[in-house]
Amino acid sequence: MSDVTTAETSAKITVDPDHFTFVHYEPGRIVDVVSELAGLLGVGNPVHVVVDETTPAAKLSAEVDGTSSDARITVHAESGALDDFQRLTHFGVDNARQSLGRMLLRARDRMRADFADAPADLELSLQQNAAWDAYCAGRLARAGVPMSEQRWRYNYRNRFGFSDAVDADFDRLWAADDLGWHDLGAG
Amino acid sequence: MRQFFPVEDLARDERFVQTNMAERMKDARTVNDVGSSRKSRGKSMRLTPDRHDASDGARSLMHGIMVGEIQALEGAGRTAHDFAVGDGTGDTIPFELKLDMARQAWDEARHVEISAKLSDWMGTELGQFAENTVLFEAACSNDPILRLAGVNRALEGLAIDVFTQMKEFGDLAGDPYLEFCEDWMLADEVTHVKMGSDWLRKVTEHDPDRRAKALEFQQVVDKLFSFGGARGETEESPIGLARRFRELAGFTDDEVDQISQMDHDALEERKAAVRAYRDKAGVGSVPG
Repeated sequence: MSDVTTAETSAKITVDPDHFTFVHYEPGRIVDVVSELAGLLGVGNPVHVVVDETTPAAKLSAEVDGTSSDARITVHAESGALDDFQRLTHFGVDNARQSLGRMLLRARDRMRADFADAPADLELSLQQNAAWDAYCAGRLARAGVPMSEQRWRYNYRNRFGFSDAVDADFDRLWAADDLGWHDLGAG
Repeated sequence: MRQFFPVEDLARDERFVQTNMAERMKDARTVNDVGSSRKSRGKSMRLTPDRHDASDGARSLMHGIMVGEIQALEGAGRTAHDFAVGDGTGDTIPFELKLDMARQAWDEARHVEISAKLSDWMGTELGQFAENTVLFEAACSNDPILRLAGVNRALEGLAIDVFTQMKEFGDLAGDPYLEFCEDWMLADEVTHVKMGSDWLRKVTEHDPDRRAKALEFQQVVDKLFSFGGARGETEESPIGLARRFRELAGFTDDEVDQISQMDHDALEERKAAVRAYRDKAGVGSVPG
């Protein structure tokens, strides 16, 4: 397990595994990305990133073991969520920023009282995932992480339908900064 | 104008990064159930909207379609230009075959534009994903009949399967543009495969050895694209085998059965290879 406390944030960041066999990743680069994001998003909690390198799928989930500033955030990432799309099996910084940034924001949301009703990540429906992703992606874009608004709009449309009303819902989520779980409107 | 253009010289701008099947085969990861790993997609790998990664999967596949259309345009254009007019023996092709290739090039150019616009609609930038150049490689044979077998029969046949899958995806998701565009391009692909089937039979009518060689080459290309069971009739494959449209394109039932068997074998080979790699790497179950 890679175990680092970085200069950019006081958060303790760990990565599992500490040596990759199926992909050409270095744990230190994952730590660097999480550290940069934690500083950018104001997350001071310890973060543990667990990578499933045996699959190119890209499922992500995050959990946090409390609501205090020292509660530990654990992010589970299938390696497709961290890959370079142009050089598969190689670490893609942009993809990793977008994936891990969303998970850090979710974890930060979960520490709010008005997210207490949110189901665990792996129990979220496709629609709940899409709504929360839109909310996170918009905030990441405003924080300075390059995000394709159209990518997340397309994902939202696939889950809620292709209509002007659905687009208006997406615009609301993308532009928001201070929503509670029930404000996401995905049940 | 230069004839017989190698794949290394394809013109692309700085947005595009190219790869090939050899590179792809080095990736030992799999989403298939190999018995010892928790996989997020479950048993069904079919690319449908209810998959958790459906949107990104569709975006990646659409980008693959777009670069495939660029290469199909380049391939059909080369075949129209590379060979002299003749009766089809030796290095010649009938003039009518050239016309068909020119028509196909026109179709493919339209498909490139449609696919680029669909990629934009889905939130993908051109060049965002690696471009696999295997399609154009199949269009580099010195024998025009092998090109017809490899490109028009094997690869355009795959395009029938892919477009059918994407049309269904658009239909299920309620995406009006995707469903409509895929349906129209699918109609063209059926025509392209039919042209390949018809010309292959016509030109090799009195040359059974050449026909056998061409069909053997088609199998090689089909097998390459069956890599990992990406296409197949079970739910373990993201892309289904579009039997009905293949019939319309001139494939016999036996030929479709043969492709289906090849897909199945490729899937099992891939799973065995992954198991062997996992054993060697000492990976039993996923971390966490």
